[in-house]
Amino acid sequence: MSDAAAPDPFGTGLPLDTQVSRPRPGTVLLAVDGEIDTLTAARLQAGLDEAVDASQADGSGVVVDLSGVTFLASSGLAVLIGGARRLADLGSRLRLVAASRAVTRPLQVTGADALFDIHDDVASAVAEATGAGASAGDKQAAPGSRPSHTAAMPPGVAPPPGEVGR
Amino acid sequence: MSDAETLDGMSTVEVRTSATAALIPTIRAVASDLAARADFDLDAISDLRMAVDEACATLVDAADPTSVLQCRFLVRPERIRVHAEVEAAKADTVLSTDTFGWRVLQTLADDVEVLHDAGGEGRRATVGIRLDKSAGDVPR
Repeated sequence: MSDAAAPDPFGTGLPLDTQVSRPRPGTVLLAVDGEIDTLTAARLQAGLDEAVDASQADGSGVVVDLSGVTFLASSGLAVLIGGARRLADLGSRLRLVAASRAVTRPLQVTGADALFDIHDDVASAVAEATGAGASAGDKQAAPGSRPSHTAAMPPGVAPPPGEVGR
Repeated sequence: MSDAETLDGMSTVEVRTSATAALIPTIRAVASDLAARADFDLDAISDLRMAVDEACATLVDAADPTSVLQCRFLVRPERIRVHAEVEAAKADTVLSTDTFGWRVLQTLADDVEVLHDAGGEGRRATVGIRLDKSAGDVPR
């Protein structure tokens, strides 16, 4: 097989697939598969922007399914945190489906898990997002104030506003 | 990938790649493999893999485009020391430690240190990062 047009097979990093769908009215679901690092974080950003933009049309909840993610670097965390902040400004919270250690450990060790509603499976995340979407206004988004998941949080690791997305 | 060679009775592995972000997945895979074989607990394996990724990403950003990224793993009982280094883009290149990524790296590793060498006498300037990670949770 000749493929002379591809000088560097590793040039664009590992594959990272993102897909935006509406599993039911009131919920936008972004499914992510692959490794999220400094090279692929831009693809996560594009997918998340698309999902949040789509949710704004009708106030839908946003769920990011990270079940297929096998690595999550700080560059990817920064993208997710930026998405959470954007949704917080809209009075909503970003829901993550995070079941594997490759995703839960980075969220936990950085304390970033406090910024999200974290679910074990897509079904529960979608159910809650859909329910919350109808009453998005009554849920006060207050990053850092949730008591759960934060026991192991080292203080001050999650970046202040404005530092993410660099 | 060469097998571990023995220096002073220690297992040492060195990986050298072009200093490009596209090859960091290879280096972090080696880190993960070594930690698993050294009986690190699952959280510590995940932390080392992520720490090595952060360190390498930081160095690639500061590297001369023609540089090699050299990453040496010193596997000791109950801990792994990682020493990563690139040739600096400029003689006065300084690694930025005022970033989210650096704070994450400090959280993941037990100890982390920046190494600058201005070079001279025919040697090119280098920047490096040394980090230590123990096999399981230690009080910090």
